[in-house]
Amino acid sequence: MTATPHEEEAPVRGMWRQGFEVFCENRLALVGVGIFVLLTAFSFLGPVFYRTDQVHTDLTQVFLTPGTGGHPFGTDGVGYDQFGRLMLGGQTSIVVGLAAGLLATVVGTIWGAIAGFAGGWLDAVMMRVVDAMMSIPALFLFMLMASIVTPTVPMLIVIIGAFAWLGPARLVRGEALTLRTREYVMAMRGMGGTGGRAVRRHIIPNAIGTVIVNATFQVADAILYVAYLSFLGLGVPPPAANWGGMLSDGLSDTFSGHWWLLYPPGIAIILIVLAFNFIGDGLRDVFEVRLRRR
Amino acid sequence: MEATHQPLLRLRDLSTDIALRRGTVHALDQVNLQVDQGETLGIVGESGSGKTMTVLSIMGLLPHGGSVVGGEILFDGRDLRGLEAQELRRVRGVEMGMVFQDPLTSLNPTMRIGAQVAEPLRVHQGIGKAEARDRAVEILRRVGMPRPDKIVDDYPHQLSGGMRQRVVIAMALIRSPRLLIADEPTTALDVTTQRQILELIDDLREEFKMAVILVTHDLGVIAGRADRVAVMYAGRVVETGTTAELFRSPRHRYTEALMRALPESAAADADGQGRLYSIPGLPPDLSRPLTGCRFAPRCRFATDECRTTDVALTPDGAGSGHEFACLHPVTEPVAITASSAAPRAASGAAEPLLTVRDLVKEYDAGGAGVRKVSGRVSAVAGVSFDVAPGETLGIVGESGCGKSTVGRLVAGLEPSTSGQIIVDGTDVATLGRAARHRMHRQVQLMFQDSYAAMNPRMRIDSILTEPLEIQRVGDAAARRARVSELLDQVGLPRRALERYPHEFSGGQLQRIGLARSLALRPRLIVADEPVSALDVSVQAQVLNLMRDLQRGLGLSYVFISHDLSVVDYMADRIGVMYLGKLVEAGPAHQVVRAPRHPYTQALLDAVPSPHPGHASNAGTAIRGELPSAVNPPTGCRFRTRCPLAQDICATEPPLEGGTHQVACHFPLRQEPPES
Amino acid sequence: MTRYLLTRLGQALVIVILVTLITFVILHLLPGGAARAILGKEATLQQIAAFNHEMGYDRPLWEQYAMYLQRLVQGDLGYSFQLNQSVAEAIVQRLPKTMLLSLASTLLAVVVAVPLGVVQAVRRNRWPDYTINALSLLAYATPIFFMGLMMIILFSQVWPVLPPEASQGFTLAEMLADPAGLVLPTVTLAILTVAVYSRYIRSSMVDNLNENYVRTARSKGLSEGRVIVGHTLRNGLFPVITLLGMYLPALFSGALVVERLFNFPGMGLLFWQAALKRDYPILLGVTLLISVATVVGALVADVLYAAVDPRVRLRAGRS
Repeated sequence: MTATPHEEEAPVRGMWRQGFEVFCENRLALVGVGIFVLLTAFSFLGPVFYRTDQVHTDLTQVFLTPGTGGHPFGTDGVGYDQFGRLMLGGQTSIVVGLAAGLLATVVGTIWGAIAGFAGGWLDAVMMRVVDAMMSIPALFLFMLMASIVTPTVPMLIVIIGAFAWLGPARLVRGEALTLRTREYVMAMRGMGGTGGRAVRRHIIPNAIGTVIVNATFQVADAILYVAYLSFLGLGVPPPAANWGGMLSDGLSDTFSGHWWLLYPPGIAIILIVLAFNFIGDGLRDVFEVRLRRR
Repeated sequence: MEATHQPLLRLRDLSTDIALRRGTVHALDQVNLQVDQGETLGIVGESGSGKTMTVLSIMGLLPHGGSVVGGEILFDGRDLRGLEAQELRRVRGVEMGMVFQDPLTSLNPTMRIGAQVAEPLRVHQGIGKAEARDRAVEILRRVGMPRPDKIVDDYPHQLSGGMRQRVVIAMALIRSPRLLIADEPTTALDVTTQRQILELIDDLREEFKMAVILVTHDLGVIAGRADRVAVMYAGRVVETGTTAELFRSPRHRYTEALMRALPESAAADADGQGRLYSIPGLPPDLSRPLTGCRFAPRCRFATDECRTTDVALTPDGAGSGHEFACLHPVTEPVAITASSAAPRAASGAAEPLLTVRDLVKEYDAGGAGVRKVSGRVSAVAGVSFDVAPGETLGIVGESGCGKSTVGRLVAGLEPSTSGQIIVDGTDVATLGRAARHRMHRQVQLMFQDSYAAMNPRMRIDSILTEPLEIQRVGDAAARRARVSELLDQVGLPRRALERYPHEFSGGQLQRIGLARSLALRPRLIVADEPVSALDVSVQAQVLNLMRDLQRGLGLSYVFISHDLSVVDYMADRIGVMYLGKLVEAGPAHQVVRAPRHPYTQALLDAVPSPHPGHASNAGTAIRGELPSAVNPPTGCRFRTRCPLAQDICATEPPLEGGTHQVACHFPLRQEPPES
Repeated sequence: MTRYLLTRLGQALVIVILVTLITFVILHLLPGGAARAILGKEATLQQIAAFNHEMGYDRPLWEQYAMYLQRLVQGDLGYSFQLNQSVAEAIVQRLPKTMLLSLASTLLAVVVAVPLGVVQAVRRNRWPDYTINALSLLAYATPIFFMGLMMIILFSQVWPVLPPEASQGFTLAEMLADPAGLVLPTVTLAILTVAVYSRYIRSSMVDNLNENYVRTARSKGLSEGRVIVGHTLRNGLFPVITLLGMYLPALFSGALVVERLFNFPGMGLLFWQAALKRDYPILLGVTLLISVATVVGALVADVLYAAVDPRVRLRAGRS
C-alpha cells in the first residue's frame, strides 16, 4: 500500500518511544520480561526474606517431603532446604547466563566487526578460525576445557563465553558486509565522509539491533550450557548450586519418588530460557517494525 | 441469456477488502467494468488505485487477508463468486490466463521451463508428458522464443528478463484462454523489450481471438494498445471510454490532471515556463471511511458538493459508452503535443563546469570466491562529455548501459579505471586527500530511492545536517539555519525535521533527498533516476522543483534516466549510452527529433506515445538481446543488433560532429548546419 | 560444478587443518604438560623424558606439529594408558553406534519436522501454527536430559513398555538385535532436532509461499495441494539439506548428553568417561574425530544441495 498521507496528524514520537510501543504489542515479550523479573527477584531478593543454611549439610533432615518440617519444597539428600536452594541455584544460573551471554556477544561482535570491515585475507583467516571452532561441537569443547581447569563460577563464564562468541561473530560480520554496501553509506561517502564515520554513524547504529536480539538468545543458550555441564559432572562443585546441577542431582532420585528435587529446578530452567526467547522475539519486532514504512 | 450483446467479462459493483494488522483497507469500492470478446481493455491508474487488485480479484489471487466482499464477477454470464472451487479453478486455469509484472520472480526457479509451461494442460486436460513437451515447444516457438526445443529443458534463471516474460505469456496462452490479463507486463523491462512484448500480445490477441485486460500505470502503453480504457483512482473507476475518445477529450478532472502531468505535455502548458501540471497532495487512505468524490481533496475544481455527494459513473450523453464520475467535468479537449519542450537557450561559451574525458570503468567478473577471474566487465568504455554551468545534461540508455556507473564515477563514489574527470578546471585525479574531500562540495548525488539512501535510524534533521558536519561547514547554529532554509527550498514543513524517513511518502523523500544534495551548495548534482519510482503526478512535482531550483541557484545537473520523455523535458543536451559507450550526444530537441544513431532511433520508436493511433515505425525495431558486457562486441558495440550494420562496423566509429555528435559509420542523417 | 567441488573441498581441508591446530594447542595447554597429563601422576621423570623424546615433545614446536600431523595421517591418535588401548581402536569400536544414533534420530526428526513445518507454513498465524510453535519452543527450552528423563518416567515407569537404558551390545549388530533399547535415546535426541528443523522449514516454506511464482502457479488453476506439493515443497525443502550439515555440531553435542543419560555405549559416553578420568588422549582424539565428522558432513550436505538445486548447480557449473 502507499504511504499514508496523514503524517501531519500523527504525533511526533521518538525512536525509543516507538520501539517501546512495538515491544509492548508483543504480549509474549511482556510475559518474558515478567518471568525474568520474577525469577530474578526470587533468586536475589528471596534469601533476604527466606533465610536458609545452604552451606552446612544436615543429614538428619534428608528427603523431607514438601511442607514437612517447615520446608515448603522439602529437603534434598544432604538436608539442604530445597526452596532456599532454588534461590541460590537461580543466582548462579542467571549470573552465569547473563555474563557468559554478554561476554560472547562482546567478543563475537568485535571479532565479526573487524573481519567484516577489514575484508580480504584478514577476513578470510578470521572466518576460517570461526568455521574451525564451530565445527567442534560446543559441548565437547566445553568439557575438554572444563576437564583442564577447575570449574568455578567465573571460570564457567569464561569457558562458555570463550566458545559461544562464534555465532555472534558470524552474524556481525554478515551484517557489516551488507550494511557496508547500503545506499545511505554510499550517499555519505558522496559527501566526502570517511570510513570511520560510516562505522560510527551508520553501521553500528543499524547493526546494534541484531546484536542485542542475538544477545538475549545467547543468554538463553548459556543457561542451558551450564545445565548440560552440570549434568555431565563438570558444573560448580557443592556447596555452590545452580538449577542445572540441582536438576541433574534430582535425576538420580527420580526412581525413589523424590519428585520435588526434579521438577522445580527443571521448570525454573525452562521458564528462564523461554523468557529470554520471548524477550528476544519482542526485541526483534522492535528493531524491524519501526523500519517498516507505514 | 441475451444473444445480442453479452460481454465476456463484466464486473458489477465489485468490492474487495484487505485485512491488515491495523484495520482493513477497502482496496476496491464498487468497481464496474466490462470486456468484450476480442477487445483490449486498458486499466490505468497510479499505485494504490486498485488496478492490480481488480485483476487479482478476477483471478482469485488476492494476497493474504484479501477477499471479495461484494458484487459480481460475471464471466460468460456466470458469476465466478457462485462457482464451486473445482469448477472455479478450471475456469481460471483454462479460460483465463495471466501475465505478471516481474518475470524474474514469476517462474518457479527449480522447475524446467517446459514443465511449467505445459502444467495447465497436464492438470486440466490430463495429457501425457511427451505430448505436453511437444505442446510446450510449439507454444514457445509461437511466442518468438529462439531454439524452443532446447529452452524447454532449461531453468528460468538461464534466461533474460524479456525471454522469461515470453515464457510467462506462453504459459498463459497454452490453454488457449478467452481472456488474457496482463498486469504491468512490461514495467520491469527495457523499452525496446517492452515494445517486443506488447507487439507480441497484440498479435496473439488477434490470432487467438482473445479479450485482453492490460493493466498499467503508463498512459503511453495504454494509448498504443487498448481499444477501451478505464481510469481508476482510490479503488474506483472514475472514467471509462474508447481510447481515442478518452485521450481526445478526457472528462474527469483526475484523468485530465494525469495527462497534463506527463512531461510530454510540458509545452502545451500556458505558463510559458515549461512547468508541468502537478497534482498537489497524495491519494486518500483507503482504510478510512470516505465520502464524496475521492479526488476532491486534490482537485482544483472541487466544490462542497464534490466532498459530500457520492458521484456515480454517468454516460456523457453521446452514446459512445464514455462514462465518468465527475460533477465538474472538463469541457475543452486536452492536447498532449508530440513536440515537447521548445529548444532552450543554448548556454554561452562559458568554460565547462564538468569535463569528462575517455572515462573507463571495468569490474572483475564473478568476483566471489578465490580469485576466479573469468573476464572483466566493461561497464564504461571511453566516455567523454562536458557540462556547462547552469546546464542539464541528460544521459539515457537501457539497463546495463553504464549510465549509473558514469554517475557514480562523476560523484566520486568509485575510482575510475582510467580517464579524466575535470571539475571546474581541476583534474580530480591530481588532487590530494584534503582537496578531494573538499571536491565533494562541488558535486553531489541524488538517488533513485531516497528511502534506501537515508539511514533509517536518523531523523531528518540529522540526515540534512550530515553533509555540513562532514565538510565542517559552519557551527551548530549556522547548520540549523541552513537546514531550515533547505526545507523551505524544497517545500516541506519544519515539522519534518523531527521525523524519520519511514514516515514520508516517496515524493516527499525525493524532496528531502534533493535538499540533502543541496546542503553543501554544490554546483553540480548528479541525479540518478530521481523520479523513476514515482507516480506521474508526484513525478511532476519533483521535476518542477528540480527545475525551479536550477533556475534559482544556477545549478548544473547530470540527469540520468531510462525514460526518454523525462530526459527530453529536463535536459538541455542529451547523451545516449549503449553498452558502456556514448553513441550520440547533442542538443535535446535535436537528439529526440532528429536522431543520428540507429540505436537512438530504435529507442525513440520503442517509447510508447500517449497518442492513440500514433503509429510507430516498424522498420527500426531492434531485435535480439543486449550482449554481455564481459566480452562486448568489438568495433561498434551496437552492430550485433543494428539493421544497418556492415563489415566496417567491426572497427570502432569515433564520436564525431560539432554540437550534435554521433558514433556511427552510417549516421541516419547529417548534422544540421550551425545556425 | 567440478570447480565448486574443488573450492569447497579446499575450504573443508583448511578447516580440518585448523581443527588439528586447535587440538594441538590444547594438548600443550594441558596441566603439567602433555606428557604428565597423558602418563598420569605416577609416572617417573625418566618415563616422562623418554615419552617426550619418543613423541618428539623436546623438539621445536613446528616440528612437533608436523610430527603430530604425520601421526594423525597414519591414523595414530595416541594411546590411552587408562584404557590400555589405542585411541583409534577405542573410537572405532564406538563410532558406528554414535553414527547409528545420530542417523536414526535425524531421519526420525526429518520425517516428523517436514510435515509439521509445512502445516505451520500453510496454516500460518492460525491455531495449528501457534500450537506447533509453542511445543517446539518448549522442546527447545527444555534441557535434553530433562526431556529424556520424562520419557523414561513415561515409557519405563508409568507405562513400562521400553527399557530405560540403551542396549549394551558390544558391536553394532548386537545393538541392533535389541531395537527396543534404541527407541528412547533416538526419540529423545530427535525431539530437540525436530524443534529446530520445523522452525526452519516453516520459515523457508513461508518465504516460498510469498514468492511470485506461487501466484503464477495458482493462476494456472492448480489446487492448493498441487501448488504446495508441486511447487513450493521442493523450493522450500532444498535449503534444509544444508541445515542438516550446519546442525551436525549441535546434534553431536546432544548425542553426548543422550548417551550419558541412557548409558548408550557410543563415542559420547567414551568422551564423558574420559573427561571424568582426565584421560586426555581419548578426549583429544574424540574431539578431533567428531570435528572431522562435522566438517565432512557439512561438505556432503553442501555438495548434495548444489547437486539437487538447479540454481546452484548451473551457476557453479558456468563459472
